[in-house]
Amino acid sequence: MKQHPLCTDTEQDLNVRALPIPEELKQEWAALQTRRHFLGRAGKVMGWAAMASLTGDHALTSVAHATVTSSTPKAITPEQFKLPNFAPKAKRAIYLFMSGGPPQMDMLDYKPKLAAMYNQDMPDSVRGAQQLTGMSSGQARFPIAPSHWAFKQHGKSGTWVSDLLPYTSKMVDHLTIIKTTNTDAINHEPAIMLMNTGNMNSGKPCMGAWLSYGLGSMNNNLPTFMVLQSKLNPIENNQPVSSRLWSSGFLSSEYAGVGLRSAGDPVLFLSDPAGVNRDVRRKMLDAVHQINQQTYEELGDPETNSRISQYEMAYRMQTSVPELTDLSKEPKSTWDLYGSEAKVPGTFAYNCLMARRMAERGVRFTQVYKRGWDVHGNLPKLLPILCQETDRACYALITDLQQRGLLDDTLVIWAGEFGRTVYSQGGLSETDYGRDHHPRCFTTWMTGGGVKPGITYGETDDYSYNVVKDPVPVRDFNATVLHCLGIDHNKLTFQSQGLDQKLTGTTPANVVQGLLA
Amino acid sequence: MSVIDSKLLPKSPATRTAWVMALMFSVALLLLPHIFKLDGKPHANWQQFIGRFHPLIIHLPIGFILLVPLLEVGGRWKPSLRESASLVLGLGFISSLGAMTLGYLLAYGSGDSGAGVTRHMWGGIALTIGVLLCLLVRPLWASGAAPRLYPALLGCVLLVLSWAAHQGGSLTHGSNYLTESMPPLLKRWTRLGSSPAKAPVSGSFYAQHINPIFDSNCVVCHGENKVDGGLRLDSYESLMEGGKDGTVIAAGAPDKSLLLTRVTLPKGHKKFMPSEGKPPLKPEQIEWIRAWVQQGASSTATSLAGITIDEHKDVPLLPVGDYSALMPEIEAMDSGTGAKLVQVSNKASDGLILRTIDVGKKFGDAQLAQFAKFAPYIVEVELARTGVTDAGFDTLSKFTHLRVLHLEDTAVTGNSLTKLIPLSQLTYLNLSGTKVTKAALAPLETIKGLHSIYLYDTPAQHAPITDAAPPIERKTL
Repeated sequence: MKQHPLCTDTEQDLNVRALPIPEELKQEWAALQTRRHFLGRAGKVMGWAAMASLTGDHALTSVAHATVTSSTPKAITPEQFKLPNFAPKAKRAIYLFMSGGPPQMDMLDYKPKLAAMYNQDMPDSVRGAQQLTGMSSGQARFPIAPSHWAFKQHGKSGTWVSDLLPYTSKMVDHLTIIKTTNTDAINHEPAIMLMNTGNMNSGKPCMGAWLSYGLGSMNNNLPTFMVLQSKLNPIENNQPVSSRLWSSGFLSSEYAGVGLRSAGDPVLFLSDPAGVNRDVRRKMLDAVHQINQQTYEELGDPETNSRISQYEMAYRMQTSVPELTDLSKEPKSTWDLYGSEAKVPGTFAYNCLMARRMAERGVRFTQVYKRGWDVHGNLPKLLPILCQETDRACYALITDLQQRGLLDDTLVIWAGEFGRTVYSQGGLSETDYGRDHHPRCFTTWMTGGGVKPGITYGETDDYSYNVVKDPVPVRDFNATVLHCLGIDHNKLTFQSQGLDQKLTGTTPANVVQGLLA
Repeated sequence: MSVIDSKLLPKSPATRTAWVMALMFSVALLLLPHIFKLDGKPHANWQQFIGRFHPLIIHLPIGFILLVPLLEVGGRWKPSLRESASLVLGLGFISSLGAMTLGYLLAYGSGDSGAGVTRHMWGGIALTIGVLLCLLVRPLWASGAAPRLYPALLGCVLLVLSWAAHQGGSLTHGSNYLTESMPPLLKRWTRLGSSPAKAPVSGSFYAQHINPIFDSNCVVCHGENKVDGGLRLDSYESLMEGGKDGTVIAAGAPDKSLLLTRVTLPKGHKKFMPSEGKPPLKPEQIEWIRAWVQQGASSTATSLAGITIDEHKDVPLLPVGDYSALMPEIEAMDSGTGAKLVQVSNKASDGLILRTIDVGKKFGDAQLAQFAKFAPYIVEVELARTGVTDAGFDTLSKFTHLRVLHLEDTAVTGNSLTKLIPLSQLTYLNLSGTKVTKAALAPLETIKGLHSIYLYDTPAQHAPITDAAPPIERKTL
């Protein structure tokens, strides 16, 4: 038994096994050693895990490349030697996630024939044998609820957009609208997991973690994968969103998303406490580094090395994060574009602006969550609020990226976890209706590096209920995103539970060629 | 007969029988195509199944036959080699016969026809007969009775072999396979590869956009050399004429046009075209064909309503050399300047990116100059928010393979932009947040492929986009 440098026990020099004592005592001694060792390590592991979720730099751990001599180990995962598989169109991605399930037929999936079918029963043939959620399966009838808002054609592409989205209307020629995204899950939790990780059960890495693992960091001063949550609007129907959606699953925890808080310090405990200046901090870190290095030499655990660099990362983030979140130097044109709402931390508009700033600073994958799209009831009142909160910000982000020349190599994705039903959940009146979850088709869009601008892909039936042409299941959607980033989704794999796991799962997935530029 | 020396004539009854049998066999081979005609109709599936092993087996006789002259010549110094030549020649005959049979089954079974197929077939038959003759003549040569006949025959066999093999290669890869990537100089010298313009009405939509689709995807099997299904797509006339299933283009009715039906079947369908795992047509190509058929399938119309094709052609990319040998040096740059050279992809030919994003202002002109030695491999330089100034353009002008250049928020003034003119590969230049003026940009117009110049927040830019949208209108139900 080697002595741990932090261990003050004196019994290490004793060769207990050789002592003339009963065997039971020896075993008890061994058990105590194990437990002590376990408890001692467990405490540190907790701390490490916490640090790992704070930082996300890829260059922290490498089993194969760990060297004691370098304080900033240049570590690359085996994947990063092989990726990108081909020259990527996009270096980075921004994923605007509309949690709750936006109603496609009120926004982008124009269904003119519905207006004449107001309050008629939806034909059984449309629904087929589909099982509904418990929220509307007991309804006596399924009355068709046409959209409350008019649609108009916009842009050169002549894309139909609801009047609820005046800003989105202006950028349709930049968008790749997918009307036929479809999922296998009808409830939020499995659906949002499927969308993010390619699997309905939790425990799998999400898209951002796969990208960090596969492509690595572009800027060692910032995490590779960052998550921004938008503040809740209490009148909306908000579904829970938590770190399971940006977890690294079975990949090393350093690939997990790092969340910035929407209020107060963006990252907790990042500022130096009063009385500790940068020099003191540096000296302290150097001392910790020395001790950690000693530990590494004693035990040879590569995680120790990764911790050394996690501390360094946190040290660098002490200057890079305040710079990232300091909006004082943004010109007036920024506020004219995003609106003054963007000045309030935590709003969706603020997060979109942050996403642009992260793109500039080389964050590989930024995910912005906007909750509240779960419009089971009171849709005519809630949807305008939701659209007003997001429409301009989305437009501002795309326009901003475009005029700064960043849209060429940034992929922007807008999607929820599913769509909503054409029939009204609950009562239908001229001024009120609601829509239940609908997995069979929902509308998403992408724009930027790698995708074809100004097209609408796929067709749904007259009820926006079934896919008629060119379905895009979630796995194909994710395969296409990876393709834009230069990754063959079949080649970005990790062995776990006896399987070469991948983002697109075991059902064969295809890159949707029709979406590509 | 009188010209042939009597000692050449077969003497023993055994050799005579061999000659007679060989003669009958050759006649049978020559008659084969007249009995089982290659009429362009597919026959039994089993024939195709076996026949498809032809491209695999074919390399066996080629190997054997090429080995024979080596053994014969080598035998001059090492007689034991010559002893095995006869065996190898025999193997060459047996394998040629097998390969020829498979090839015939392939063509007959799948209904291949066309000039190329016919040429290849006769080549195969001639070769098999030639090898058989070699086999018969060789003993005469070995005994010294006819010292010239065998070498001459073997020479002929080799010529026939090369010709037939080339015909076969043209069938599978297309007749321009060898010349396509030939260096221009060599092309001019050999006068090859420049397919004479048989274009119908140049400038028509058909000539510019439709014919090229068939050219690159279909004519390997539906062209001059191979006419599968009796259909040729290499000219407007033959396209409109159709094949054994009738016309394939119904002008004005895309849904009734067999060609469109076949290319839009679900992938994996037996009748899907292009067949046998060749890449399918791209969606926009199908869209163009559909629109072209819809609007009358004209050979002369120059444009189609609703179809705009981006005529913008990028300057052909200069290939980037292989930097793999420099990897240790490339990785060492990281620790020196803090900036990194990153691979665009795992293919070395995609080049390197110079990434300075986490160094910031500490990365200046001197640091940039250190990367000049990797200039031929660098296709993208990210200098946004670095300390690079106008002096850095001296280094940048050496980056001859540069395609993308980021200079956002740097101190460059634009006075040195002329130094970028030699960078013929440049397509993207981002000068946002610099002091560059419109006048300074003028010289850049000489870079043909430079289609994306970003000037956000510069004196050269018009006002940024900030406009507001109209209020939401509500519809009453």
